[in-house]
Amino acid sequence: MKEIKDKMIAQIKAVFPEAVNKDYDGNRLDLTVNKEAVPSVLLYLKDSMGFRHLSHIAYVDWIEQGEFELVYILWSPLDKVKLYVHTRINRENPVIENIDMIWRQANTYEREIREMLGIEFTGLVAPDEFILEDWDDIPPFRKDFDTLEYVNRTFWHRPGREDAQDVRSTISERSGEEIPDFAKKYSR
Amino acid sequence: MSFFDLQGTLKPLTALKQFGKKPHTLKDIPWKKREASDRYRGLHFNDLDECIGCGNCSTICQNAAIDMIHLEGIEGKKGDSGLRPRVDNGRCCWCALCVEVCPTGSLSLTKDYIYVTEDPDAFLWTPGVDNPDGAERKSFVSDKDHSLNDFNRIPMPELEGKERVKSFAEVVLGYNEQQAREEASRCISCGICTEVCPDHMHIPEYINAIASGNDKDAVKIIYDNNPLPEMCGKVCTRRCEDVCAIATRGDSVAIRWLKRYATETAATADLTHEIVNPEIKEANGKTVGIIGAGPSGLTAAYYLALRGYDVTIYEASAKAGGATMYGIPKYRLPIESLDKQIGYIQSIGVKINFNTKVGKDISFKEIYDKYDTVFMGVGFPDAWPLGVDGDDAKGSMQAFRYLYMINAGDKVDIGDKVVVVGGGNVAIDAARVSRRFGAEVTILYRRRVADMPADWEEIEGAEDEGVHIIPQGIPTKIHKDDKGHVTGIEYLKAKMVADDKGGRPRPVAIEGSETILEATAVMAAIGQMGDYSFLPKEFEDKIKIERGRFVVNEKQQTGDPKVFAGGDAVNRTADAISAIADGFRACKAIDEYLSK
Repeated sequence: MKEIKDKMIAQIKAVFPEAVNKDYDGNRLDLTVNKEAVPSVLLYLKDSMGFRHLSHIAYVDWIEQGEFELVYILWSPLDKVKLYVHTRINRENPVIENIDMIWRQANTYEREIREMLGIEFTGLVAPDEFILEDWDDIPPFRKDFDTLEYVNRTFWHRPGREDAQDVRSTISERSGEEIPDFAKKYSR
Repeated sequence: MSFFDLQGTLKPLTALKQFGKKPHTLKDIPWKKREASDRYRGLHFNDLDECIGCGNCSTICQNAAIDMIHLEGIEGKKGDSGLRPRVDNGRCCWCALCVEVCPTGSLSLTKDYIYVTEDPDAFLWTPGVDNPDGAERKSFVSDKDHSLNDFNRIPMPELEGKERVKSFAEVVLGYNEQQAREEASRCISCGICTEVCPDHMHIPEYINAIASGNDKDAVKIIYDNNPLPEMCGKVCTRRCEDVCAIATRGDSVAIRWLKRYATETAATADLTHEIVNPEIKEANGKTVGIIGAGPSGLTAAYYLALRGYDVTIYEASAKAGGATMYGIPKYRLPIESLDKQIGYIQSIGVKINFNTKVGKDISFKEIYDKYDTVFMGVGFPDAWPLGVDGDDAKGSMQAFRYLYMINAGDKVDIGDKVVVVGGGNVAIDAARVSRRFGAEVTILYRRRVADMPADWEEIEGAEDEGVHIIPQGIPTKIHKDDKGHVTGIEYLKAKMVADDKGGRPRPVAIEGSETILEATAVMAAIGQMGDYSFLPKEFEDKIKIERGRFVVNEKQQTGDPKVFAGGDAVNRTADAISAIADGFRACKAIDEYLSK
């Protein structure tokens, strides 16, 4: 397996010298490329290196670094190698090339990512909505989306839940502790 | 479509050709019941006995689906809020974050995913109550290695054992900023710890302030009800850490070390004043006299002064701090640290008369008549003697007295072989101090090491420094030479016998097992007692002393409504934080009494 992977890396580096690879145990291989290079890299991997199958497109919100990450997970049925192609996209202007002409199923993944993370895919032809209906907030899988706040704003509380207690005040009342006002902003 | 075209009707019947053939995918069906997959996330189950009601599940839930509620038959107690989670299954999305953050591991998800009821609104589900047998079908369980809680404490940097015995330098070095932030981030802010703290300090709040980088706010919160926090940060008995939710499966949050970190950021008395920025009320013309500048007296004094009272403390020794100054060795609590805290207390207007022993330099009556109220925080200044033959020998002493003299800067001749009798913190302190003077030290204790009331860290520290511990030894006699100097201590080995009354096992001497241990000094560390000779008879009758302690009501008030008391001479726990709690309670009661 090691030899196969080494050979693959050499071949990829020969065509795309700027690609950065990272090795994992077993049959996993990781590659990081610029977002501009994604379509050509994927096309080359599919047509010339036997990575015929796109398993998934995963996504990560690196909010502190101001970037999104997409991970195209490919599979080579012949060599039995999993290849993870990583790319980073600026969070301010999240646009990347659509690749559903390479793998048709990418269309579905891209629709999901467009809706849940808010990344635009240039040239993507698909209906506007995927799962969310009449969504008017920021995309919900972004890390700055406050799920709890949204839930409290959107859904009513079921009757019968009025007996809920706050743990901190239950304990402080029982022990007679007086929490000063200036400290309360640090209470849970 | 013609009438005779039956294709659409008959086509499905072609499936019948598969009838009777062995299925490829679902074997054993319908004979075997289908089981959900491993780690399936079905309905919740909660082990109600293991759960401590910390409410972390309720806090993490992004769907606001979990409430903490009172359940019949579950009472709150120390280390348990008494609340238990209830899930709104109409909101739950089975993400299982609640299980991932459960510190005790009591909450889990089961393989059950079917629930049938006639009530269309029956979505409220109390795990463990609604499915008492759920324990048998647990599927998604919290596992310590993958939990989102961090169960490992950031280790505290310390001096090496060999380095320590060379001097009285502080053994514990303290967290740096990064370590403190990391350690503080382990806290889940449930507040269960606050109930066992005698002073009910606002622990989750100040730890949260440290975690979010606001050390000044932390100091301010800490000073809300504790004017000697750096002392507590170094030597507190920290019962809070025993009930920490994280400690159910891991190391408790280092609450004591975090308090120490926060207060040390206020490096001087002036800086403390600047950060705490206390609101001092205008003088109200009322006066309070306080006997003893120990933790209880200083606490009452500080908070009374903040409330506008004119406070004067009378202290017999040359320094304030009481047992924390004279009873605790300097390698645990450096004198500079205590001076800084007392300097700050003085800076807000508390007056302290040093070297003024009540009953000798000034009479109790004089104080009683001079002030509107009196608070007594007189502590336990005397120690029990060993009470065996030869107790009067030169070199036989009380460990508490020994610590007092060393801390006061006196020299004590202990020779090179010291035997300390006892198993509490005083015994360990005396042993470790003696080590620092180069003596070989042995601790003789009646029971097993595991029974020692001393902090385990102190016991370990003593062992690291080369203190030898002999457990299960009952001293019977002190041997002396012609000049009356101690030469050795004789003891009987003991076996542990279970107590019929359900108490802890008792040591019983084994006859004929006499052993003599060579010694140049013997120190008894078997307990302290009060000295109430300063009280004239007329007051003693009124104030009332029972079993060596003042009798007070829940407001720290004695039989004489004008006299309040606190600290070791009142409470049975006899530690600094209980004394501080007494002083804080007395302050509120005195304020109430004088405002009438």
